[in-house]
Amino acid sequence: MYKVLANENLPAFFESLKKIGKVYGPVKVRESSYDFREVESLSEVDLTYTRTMIPPKKFFVKPKETIFDFDEEKLEFKEPPDEEVKVILGVHHCDINALKILDSIYMDETPDKYYIQRRNSSFIIGVSCTPDEYCFCKSVGTSYAQDGFDLFLHEISRGYLVRIGSEKGYELINDNKDLFEDAKPEDTEEFKQNEKERLEAFKLELNVSGIQDMLGLSYEDPVWKETADDCFGCGTCNLVCPTCRCYDVVDYVGLSLKSGERVRRWDSCMLRKHGLVAGGLNFRPTRVERLRNRFNCKGSFTDGSLSCVGCGRCTVYCPAGISFVEVMKKVRGEL
Amino acid sequence: MVKDNVLAPTPAKILKSENMTEIEKHIELEILDKEIAKNFVYKPGQFVEVGVMGVGEAPISICAARKKEDLLELCVRKVGRVTNAIHRLNVGDILWIRGPYGNGFPMEKMEGSDLLLVAGGLGIAPLRGVLQYALSNREKYGTITIMYGIRCYTAMLWRDEFLHLFYEGDKINVEFYLSYEDSSDRQCYELQCERSDRCMQGVVTRLFGLKEVEPENTYAVICGPPIMYKFVIQELMKRNFDPKKIYMTLERRMKCGVGKCGHCIIGSGKNIKYVCKDGPVFTYWDALNTKGMI
Ligand SMILES: Cc1cc2nc3c(=O)[nH]c(=O)nc-3n(C[C@H](O)[C@H](O)[C@H](O)COP(=O)(O)OP(=O)(O)OC[C@H]3O[C@@H](n4cnc5c(N)ncnc54)[C@H](O)[C@@H]3O)c2cc1C
Ligand code: SF4
Ligand code: SF4
Ligand code: FES
Repeated sequence: MYKVLANENLPAFFESLKKIGKVYGPVKVRESSYDFREVESLSEVDLTYTRTMIPPKKFFVKPKETIFDFDEEKLEFKEPPDEEVKVILGVHHCDINALKILDSIYMDETPDKYYIQRRNSSFIIGVSCTPDEYCFCKSVGTSYAQDGFDLFLHEISRGYLVRIGSEKGYELINDNKDLFEDAKPEDTEEFKQNEKERLEAFKLELNVSGIQDMLGLSYEDPVWKETADDCFGCGTCNLVCPTCRCYDVVDYVGLSLKSGERVRRWDSCMLRKHGLVAGGLNFRPTRVERLRNRFNCKGSFTDGSLSCVGCGRCTVYCPAGISFVEVMKKVRGEL
Repeated sequence: MVKDNVLAPTPAKILKSENMTEIEKHIELEILDKEIAKNFVYKPGQFVEVGVMGVGEAPISICAARKKEDLLELCVRKVGRVTNAIHRLNVGDILWIRGPYGNGFPMEKMEGSDLLLVAGGLGIAPLRGVLQYALSNREKYGTITIMYGIRCYTAMLWRDEFLHLFYEGDKINVEFYLSYEDSSDRQCYELQCERSDRCMQGVVTRLFGLKEVEPENTYAVICGPPIMYKFVIQELMKRNFDPKKIYMTLERRMKCGVGKCGHCIIGSGKNIKYVCKDGPVFTYWDALNTKGMI
């Protein structure tokens, strides 16, 4: 179902979101640096942002979280309370598709309770974007979010063409009927034209046809060593990737030594310890193996789609200037 | 107790804890929550995450076939933080477990065939489960051959059990072969003197010199230190084994056991596998198709 939200109704729409839960949106924190933050008013949000450094995965797979508190004496443990409802405003196509990849991992046959609770209590509002020189979602098939959101806002001159992606999304529109109107032929026309222009605006391209086999055939390729020579092994690429979700687990004890908490936190496959087992054996001993593992993991299929959504973050934020697309092109023998 | 949370462990009481060697303990556990115990159905080759609150968790193979609903046997080698903490516990203390995890060995598929179990060191632990299962369903399996490689006599796990098989196994169609690495080991030397057709000094692959294995009707099951697989598989391939009839169980760093934490991922774009949930048991055929598996 499609509706139009006119510019003049935007502030009222924003207020209606606050009734659902705490609202988070892309906020400019420094020159061309954005982050999803809690926002009180529409003016804090920049819906024309390029990309946030940390993707919205942070709301679902937390950088650090207590999984339970334990009390050894009473043979008890307690999970942290459920999180309150969050509205996440202004999520791009690629990041919505990335969440769907995380869903396929965290909501599989051994579902992760914490993730599901947060996923169920979130309200996701997508927003259309314009690709920059780092975006290549079009190449990997994630340039358009078919589902995985409650509402999606496509910018048009008089406001937004709104796609409804869920019952929750429909309810919001139903409860605020006066803010929305039906789409007119001019709106539809503009939407189509904008989409055409957006797709033409992509500068970066990666051919993914047969990429899995090419990765398999390039297991011993010099590209891994060459790239690893530049890599600092800092793990930033994992941190900023919307589909990277490796975590480590640590226990903390309280003063009594009988109670404490078990905590999980983001981990990175680019760090030495990731493949290390007791006795000092490391299954990915050098940066060469670690880097190769990362690219193979991103180049693998999760539920029919690639595990990379082409957001460009790992390239933008790599301190060594390693370009994801360039490495993949070398793997393909195109560079 | 939180039942719908896969990361939530359940308490298990240590019923028995026995030092088998200086670094390995055999531990018998009783799952306290009987409701959970009922559903704690495991098969050989599966593992559990064993935790000590305040220290952490470690994946440990279940080392015996399931005999009683609430019982679980483990063999733990102390090598680091968690395993040392486990060793410090005594009978009556609590361990926190979750699982069972992993695919385990396909015992049904192997029915009607001979079994060749090749173990190095601690690798005997999961294979003991296979052995026990096969012995309690004795009519379903043919000859069971065990090749067990140890460093020295004192490092031999379940010594009484296996020495019994060494001497008496043939009566139940179980052939037990032993190799030992320490050439100055007096006790092993004596075993070799007694039965030079069953015991040899050297690495475990030397035992292939003592036994004619029949590739047509045999499933091979391997577990040992990572370096061992290549050499055992070489021997099997020399004898024309079908790669799909060679099973091995792998070790990787693991933090969750349920395909979430990403540590155990192996392979390349075409074939990415999680050792914890797609394994830890894989065939050699899988290894041929998955880069970096062995
Ligand atoms: C499927 C499987 C079955 C295993 N079965 C047994 C068994 O029956 N008996 C036994 O003694 N050992 C077994 N191991 C090895 C055992 O898990 C490690 O020795 C143990 O995790 C070391 O933990 P630590 O805290 O003592 O060591 P540390 O070096 O302090 O390790 C810290 C943490 O790293 C991780 N880690 C370290 N080494 C390993 C490893 N080898 N595998 C997985 N995670 C690791 C663990 O989360 C561990 O808590 C098995 C491993 C796997 C993967
Ligand atoms: S961000 Fe760049 S330098 Fe850092 S680990 Fe990733 S590839 Fe290496
Ligand atoms: S691999 Fe790089 S481009 Fe692909 S989704 Fe992750 S951060 Fe974005
Ligand atoms: S152990 Fe966490 S994914 Fe396999």
